[in-house]
Amino acid sequence: MAENKKKVLEMLAQNKISTDEAYRLLSALESEGGAAEDTSKAGTAAKMKSKYLRVCIVPGSEHEHGGKADRVNVRVPMTLIRSGMKFTSLLPPEARDKVTGALHEKGIDFDMRNLKPEDMDEFLEALSDLEVDVVSSDGEAIKVFVE
Amino acid sequence: MKRPPMLMHVKIRGEGRGFGLWLPLFLVLPLALALFIILSPLILIAILVFWPSGWRKRGLHIFGAAFEVFNSMRGLKVDVQSGHHCIYISAV
Repeated sequence: MAENKKKVLEMLAQNKISTDEAYRLLSALESEGGAAEDTSKAGTAAKMKSKYLRVCIVPGSEHEHGGKADRVNVRVPMTLIRSGMKFTSLLPPEARDKVTGALHEKGIDFDMRNLKPEDMDEFLEALSDLEVDVVSSDGEAIKVFVE
Repeated sequence: MKRPPMLMHVKIRGEGRGFGLWLPLFLVLPLALALFIILSPLILIAILVFWPSGWRKRGLHIFGAAFEVFNSMRGLKVDVQSGHHCIYISAV
Protein backbone atom coordinates (compact mmCIF):
# COMPACT_ATOMS: atom_id res chain seq x y z
CA MET A 1 0.00 0.00 0.00
CA ALA A 2 2.77 2.44 0.95
CA GLU A 3 4.66 1.55 -2.24
CA ASN A 4 1.63 2.43 -4.39
CA LYS A 5 1.33 5.80 -2.66
CA LYS A 6 5.04 6.41 -3.26
CA LYS A 7 4.61 5.61 -6.96
CA VAL A 8 1.74 8.10 -7.21
CA LEU A 9 3.87 10.79 -5.55
CA GLU A 10 6.80 9.99 -7.83
CA MET A 11 4.53 10.32 -10.88
CA LEU A 12 3.34 13.67 -9.53
CA ALA A 13 6.92 14.82 -8.98
CA GLN A 14 7.80 13.81 -12.54
CA ASN A 15 4.74 15.78 -13.80
CA LYS A 16 3.30 12.61 -15.35
CA ILE A 17 -0.02 13.25 -13.57
CA SER A 18 -1.77 16.36 -12.29
CA THR A 19 -2.38 17.14 -8.62
CA ASP A 20 -6.11 16.32 -9.05
CA GLU A 21 -5.30 12.90 -10.50
CA ALA A 22 -2.78 12.24 -7.73
CA TYR A 23 -5.38 13.19 -5.14
CA ARG A 24 -7.96 10.87 -6.72
CA LEU A 25 -5.49 7.99 -6.89
CA LEU A 26 -4.41 8.45 -3.26
CA SER A 27 -8.05 8.59 -2.12
CA ALA A 28 -8.80 5.37 -4.03
CA LEU A 29 -5.79 3.64 -2.45
CA GLU A 30 -6.85 4.73 1.04
CA SER A 31 -10.43 3.50 0.56
CA GLU A 32 -9.10 0.14 -0.71
CA GLY A 33 -6.89 -0.18 2.38
CA GLY A 34 -9.80 0.68 4.66
CA ALA A 35 -12.02 -1.95 3.03
CA ALA A 36 -9.36 -4.66 3.48
CA GLU A 37 -8.92 -3.66 7.11
CA ASP A 38 -12.69 -3.77 7.67
CA THR A 39 -12.85 -7.30 6.20
CA SER A 40 -10.12 -8.58 8.52
CA LYS A 41 -11.77 -6.84 11.50
CA ALA A 42 -15.11 -8.45 10.60
CA GLY A 43 -13.44 -11.88 10.52
CA THR A 44 -11.88 -11.36 13.92
CA ALA A 45 -15.17 -10.03 15.32
CA ALA A 46 -17.01 -13.11 14.02
CA LYS A 47 -14.49 -15.32 15.80
CA MET A 48 -14.79 -13.29 18.99
CA LYS A 49 -18.58 -13.61 18.79
CA SER A 50 -18.30 -17.34 19.50
CA LYS A 51 -19.88 -17.46 22.90
CA TYR A 52 -20.48 -21.07 23.80
CA LEU A 53 -18.88 -24.47 23.46
CA ARG A 54 -21.65 -27.00 22.87
CA VAL A 55 -21.48 -30.73 23.44
CA CYS A 56 -24.58 -32.68 22.37
CA ILE A 57 -25.19 -36.40 22.42
CA VAL A 58 -28.47 -37.33 20.78
CA PRO A 59 -29.57 -40.99 20.90
CA GLY A 60 -30.47 -42.90 17.79
CA SER A 61 -34.05 -43.67 16.85
CA GLU A 62 -33.72 -47.29 18.14
CA HIS A 63 -32.96 -46.08 21.68
CA GLU A 64 -35.44 -43.20 21.44
CA HIS A 65 -38.48 -45.49 21.51
CA GLY A 66 -37.37 -47.22 24.72
CA GLY A 67 -37.25 -43.89 26.58
CA LYS A 68 -34.08 -44.95 28.39
CA ALA A 69 -31.61 -43.33 26.04
CA ASP A 70 -28.64 -41.33 27.30
CA ARG A 71 -28.84 -37.73 26.26
CA VAL A 72 -26.32 -34.95 26.91
CA ASN A 73 -26.67 -31.28 26.18
CA VAL A 74 -23.90 -29.10 27.60
CA ARG A 75 -23.34 -25.43 26.87
CA VAL A 76 -20.19 -23.87 28.35
CA PRO A 77 -19.57 -20.13 27.97
CA MET A 78 -16.21 -19.38 26.33
CA THR A 79 -15.55 -16.79 29.04
CA LEU A 80 -15.81 -19.57 31.63
CA ILE A 81 -13.22 -21.64 29.74
CA ARG A 82 -10.96 -18.60 29.50
CA SER A 83 -11.30 -17.88 33.24
CA GLY A 84 -10.89 -21.54 34.15
CA MET A 85 -7.67 -21.80 32.16
CA LYS A 86 -6.19 -19.06 34.34
CA PHE A 87 -6.21 -21.56 37.20
CA THR A 88 -3.35 -23.43 35.49
CA SER A 89 -1.03 -20.54 36.33
CA LEU A 90 -1.94 -20.96 40.01
CA LEU A 91 -0.79 -24.55 40.18
CA PRO A 92 2.22 -25.00 42.47
CA PRO A 93 5.44 -25.80 40.54
CA GLU A 94 5.59 -29.30 42.10
CA ALA A 95 2.08 -30.11 40.84
CA ARG A 96 2.93 -28.73 37.39
CA ASP A 97 6.02 -30.94 37.23
CA LYS A 98 3.91 -33.97 38.19
CA VAL A 99 1.33 -33.20 35.49
CA THR A 100 4.08 -32.69 32.90
CA GLY A 101 5.71 -35.97 33.98
CA ALA A 102 2.42 -37.88 33.78
CA LEU A 103 1.73 -36.47 30.30
CA HIS A 104 5.25 -37.39 29.19
CA GLU A 105 4.70 -40.97 30.40
CA LYS A 106 1.60 -41.14 28.20
CA GLY A 107 3.66 -39.97 25.24
CA ILE A 108 2.36 -36.40 25.24
CA ASP A 109 5.23 -33.97 25.07
CA PHE A 110 3.56 -30.95 26.64
CA ASP A 111 5.09 -28.71 29.28
CA MET A 112 2.56 -26.70 31.27
CA ARG A 113 5.27 -24.19 32.24
CA ASN A 114 5.36 -23.03 28.61
CA LEU A 115 1.64 -22.26 28.59
CA LYS A 116 1.28 -18.47 28.32
CA PRO A 117 -1.90 -16.31 28.36
CA GLU A 118 -1.26 -15.40 24.68
CA ASP A 119 -1.22 -19.12 23.80
CA MET A 120 -4.54 -19.58 25.61
CA ASP A 121 -6.12 -16.73 23.65
CA GLU A 122 -4.83 -18.22 20.41
CA PHE A 123 -6.11 -21.65 21.42
CA LEU A 124 -9.58 -20.28 22.23
CA GLU A 125 -9.66 -18.35 18.97
CA ALA A 126 -8.77 -21.52 17.07
CA LEU A 127 -11.46 -23.37 19.00
CA SER A 128 -14.12 -21.25 17.26
CA ASP A 129 -13.44 -23.25 14.07
CA LEU A 130 -13.90 -26.57 15.85
CA GLU A 131 -16.68 -28.87 14.73
CA VAL A 132 -16.96 -32.54 15.57
CA ASP A 133 -19.88 -34.49 14.18
CA VAL A 134 -19.92 -38.24 14.75
CA VAL A 135 -22.86 -40.51 13.95
CA SER A 136 -22.64 -44.12 15.07
CA SER A 137 -24.16 -47.07 13.23
CA ASP A 138 -27.17 -47.15 15.60
CA GLY A 139 -27.93 -43.50 14.86
CA GLU A 140 -26.43 -41.97 17.99
CA ALA A 141 -25.02 -38.56 17.15
CA ILE A 142 -22.23 -36.76 18.98
CA LYS A 143 -21.70 -33.12 18.18
CA VAL A 144 -19.08 -30.75 19.55
CA PHE A 145 -19.11 -27.23 18.18
CA VAL A 146 -18.76 -23.57 19.03
CA GLU A 147 -21.63 -21.16 18.51
CA MET B 1 -17.70 -6.03 31.91
CA LYS B 2 -19.07 -9.50 32.55
CA ARG B 3 -22.41 -9.71 34.26
CA PRO B 4 -22.48 -12.27 37.05
CA PRO B 5 -25.23 -14.91 36.99
CA MET B 6 -28.35 -14.02 38.91
CA LEU B 7 -29.96 -17.42 39.39
CA MET B 8 -29.00 -21.05 39.14
CA HIS B 9 -31.58 -23.68 38.32
CA VAL B 10 -30.71 -27.16 39.57
CA LYS B 11 -32.97 -30.09 38.79
CA ILE B 12 -32.20 -33.67 39.80
CA ARG B 13 -34.52 -36.53 38.99
CA GLY B 14 -34.04 -40.13 40.03
CA GLU B 15 -36.18 -43.27 39.92
CA GLY B 16 -39.67 -41.86 40.42
CA ARG B 17 -38.59 -38.90 42.57
CA GLY B 18 -36.72 -35.70 42.08
CA PHE B 19 -36.40 -32.07 43.07
CA GLY B 20 -35.73 -28.70 41.53
CA LEU B 21 -34.08 -25.66 43.07
CA TRP B 22 -33.73 -22.05 42.05
CA LEU B 23 -30.59 -20.75 43.78
CA PRO B 24 -30.40 -16.96 44.13
CA LEU B 25 -26.80 -16.36 43.06
CA PHE B 26 -27.29 -12.60 43.24
CA LEU B 27 -27.13 -13.01 47.01
CA VAL B 28 -23.74 -14.74 46.91
CA LEU B 29 -21.64 -11.61 46.29
CA PRO B 30 -23.15 -9.50 49.14
CA LEU B 31 -22.89 -12.51 51.47
CA ALA B 32 -19.28 -13.14 50.41
CA LEU B 33 -18.46 -9.47 51.00
CA ALA B 34 -20.04 -9.61 54.49
CA LEU B 35 -18.12 -12.82 55.24
CA PHE B 36 -14.90 -11.25 53.97
CA ILE B 37 -15.36 -8.26 56.31
CA ILE B 38 -16.12 -10.53 59.29
CA LEU B 39 -13.15 -12.80 58.57
CA SER B 40 -10.74 -10.01 57.59
CA PRO B 41 -8.71 -10.22 60.85
CA LEU B 42 -8.19 -13.97 60.29
CA ILE B 43 -7.33 -13.38 56.63
CA LEU B 44 -4.76 -10.77 57.70
CA ILE B 45 -3.18 -13.25 60.15
CA ALA B 46 -3.14 -15.94 57.44
CA ILE B 47 -1.42 -13.53 55.03
CA LEU B 48 1.27 -12.74 57.62
CA VAL B 49 1.78 -16.44 58.44
CA PHE B 50 2.08 -17.49 54.80
CA TRP B 51 4.14 -14.44 53.76
CA PRO B 52 7.55 -16.19 53.75
CA SER B 53 6.30 -19.32 51.93
CA GLY B 54 5.02 -17.40 48.89
CA TRP B 55 1.47 -18.70 49.32
CA ARG B 56 0.19 -15.19 50.09
CA LYS B 57 0.38 -14.12 46.45
CA ARG B 58 -1.02 -17.44 45.20
CA GLY B 59 -3.91 -17.29 47.71
CA LEU B 60 -4.88 -13.80 46.55
CA HIS B 61 -4.70 -14.95 42.91
CA ILE B 62 -6.97 -17.91 43.71
CA PHE B 63 -9.57 -15.53 45.18
CA GLY B 64 -9.36 -13.36 42.06
CA ALA B 65 -9.62 -16.33 39.68
CA ALA B 66 -12.55 -17.83 41.62
CA PHE B 67 -14.37 -14.49 41.42
CA GLU B 68 -13.76 -14.36 37.66
CA VAL B 69 -15.00 -17.93 37.19
CA PHE B 70 -18.15 -17.10 39.15
CA ASN B 71 -18.74 -14.02 36.98
CA SER B 72 -18.30 -16.08 33.80
CA MET B 73 -20.89 -18.67 34.69
CA ARG B 74 -23.83 -16.88 33.07
CA GLY B 75 -25.14 -19.02 30.21
CA LEU B 76 -23.76 -22.31 31.53
CA LYS B 77 -26.12 -25.21 30.89
CA VAL B 78 -25.61 -28.86 31.69
CA ASP B 79 -28.38 -31.28 30.84
CA VAL B 80 -27.57 -34.96 31.22
CA GLN B 81 -30.16 -37.74 31.01
CA SER B 82 -29.37 -41.37 31.53
CA GLY B 83 -32.31 -43.70 31.63
CA HIS B 84 -34.72 -42.35 34.21
CA HIS B 85 -32.04 -40.23 35.86
CA CYS B 86 -31.63 -36.60 34.93
CA ILE B 87 -29.39 -33.77 36.05
CA TYR B 88 -30.03 -30.25 34.84
CA ILE B 89 -27.97 -27.23 35.86
CA SER B 90 -28.44 -23.82 34.32
CA ALA B 91 -27.02 -20.43 35.30
CA VAL B 92 -28.96 -17.39 34.11
